[in-house]
Amino acid sequence: MASEVTTTAIDRGLDADLAADLAAASFTLAKRFAAGATMWSIAPGWEPHALHIAVEFIHPVIVGKRALPAVAITGPDVVDVVRVSVRPGDIVVAVSAADDAEVRSVMRRSRAWGVTTVWIGSGERPRAGLADHVLWLDDPDPRAPATGGFVLFYHLLWELTHVCFEHPGLLKESSQCTDEVCVTCSDEGRLGEVLTTTGDGMATVRTANGVETVATMLVGPVAAGDLVLVHAGTAISKVSDEEDGR
Amino acid sequence: MTSGRQEEPTNFLYPFIDAQEDDPKSLLADLAASAQAKAAESLALRRSTLEANTELISSAAAELVRRFSTGGRLFTFGNGGSCTDCTTLARLFAQPPTGTPTKSLPAWSLTADQAIMTALGNDVGFELVFARQLIARGKAGDIAVAMSTSGSSPNLMAALKEARHRGMYTVGFAGYDGGAFAKSPDVDACFVVRSQSVHRIQESQALLGYQLWLAVHEQMATPPVEAL
Repeated sequence: MASEVTTTAIDRGLDADLAADLAAASFTLAKRFAAGATMWSIAPGWEPHALHIAVEFIHPVIVGKRALPAVAITGPDVVDVVRVSVRPGDIVVAVSAADDAEVRSVMRRSRAWGVTTVWIGSGERPRAGLADHVLWLDDPDPRAPATGGFVLFYHLLWELTHVCFEHPGLLKESSQCTDEVCVTCSDEGRLGEVLTTTGDGMATVRTANGVETVATMLVGPVAAGDLVLVHAGTAISKVSDEEDGR
Repeated sequence: MTSGRQEEPTNFLYPFIDAQEDDPKSLLADLAASAQAKAAESLALRRSTLEANTELISSAAAELVRRFSTGGRLFTFGNGGSCTDCTTLARLFAQPPTGTPTKSLPAWSLTADQAIMTALGNDVGFELVFARQLIARGKAGDIAVAMSTSGSSPNLMAALKEARHRGMYTVGFAGYDGGAFAKSPDVDACFVVRSQSVHRIQESQALLGYQLWLAVHEQMATPPVEAL
């Protein structure tokens, strides 16, 4: 059995899909950095990966490459620390299994915070759409995170992000909402995270656009931390976590 | 490099040309091709590194098993990215991933405590941040593992010397041609990843560390017959 594990640990190649995922993720990171983003890395259970990502970007091993703002968040209460740290336009890179409750919570809230997400992991994949970019090893071995595969992923992210900086013309962010139908702010509603409730059917919520006061009578009682869809000054529905029913 | 625009020999005449780019398609294709090439390079290096170090992994693991079985403890240390990789290795020993049957062994990363790191760095100098901790904690029968890409970091050299002096078994992970680790009498087992790329070296070192941990547990499960 051990030799089987050894073989899968070494012989993982990078198929075309994964290479395209890495390319797209790196291009996104370069655009966000060019627009002033800070990158926040989290890795509950595998904290050294979060630290390695931050040091990679802030202190490049190749002399002459620019230092990029990158910070690892380790320790307890990861969701609360990320919440208070991130600003709209920032990046969160997570390293964890798909069932990690803290990372899932961060991913679910990311649109309310206006952050772009990259999720690195192995084993069973996260639900589609939970993160903006998913870089995944389809290896069920729980030891896979210790074999260097994730290190390769974030090394490539760093290398490719810096290649993108050589193409400044492509890094200009297209101004928001130029599409005919913008999913972020169309009638479908924007994701908001409840900050406080006032007891008179109103609540303050944090969305990608900032903090706003909305009416909550359509959705009933809400509490701080709840996710709601906001449309025209009103919370029109609660957004629960499909996977744990909350 | 599939982008025709980049291959134009006259591009140097038009330094502004990249600022006019507006179609990311060729860049994305270049990035994906680059990712695959680098990953293939990483894979080839991991294979050749494991092949070249099969015997050393086995003999070093045997020494680790001997020491763990008589109360020895393992200390890892490194700088920057190597610090995080050596912390992953210490954790593998101390807290094997859930769902794997291997038992916990006493192992720590000497970089874990910011108070100690900054106190020593400030008071006695960065060269002694690891050596000083080994003076306090290391005993004959223990194990020291230093991870580095250059194989020459002064604070790792100082710690390995101190470890050797105290009767610890010393393991070095290096890149390039092995640097000072490869020539030092203070390094009992030196794993060299023969590459010029810091990134590729670290990827292979992570796998080497993993294989060392795996070999320790395999040997613990099946004690060598000649020991009888």
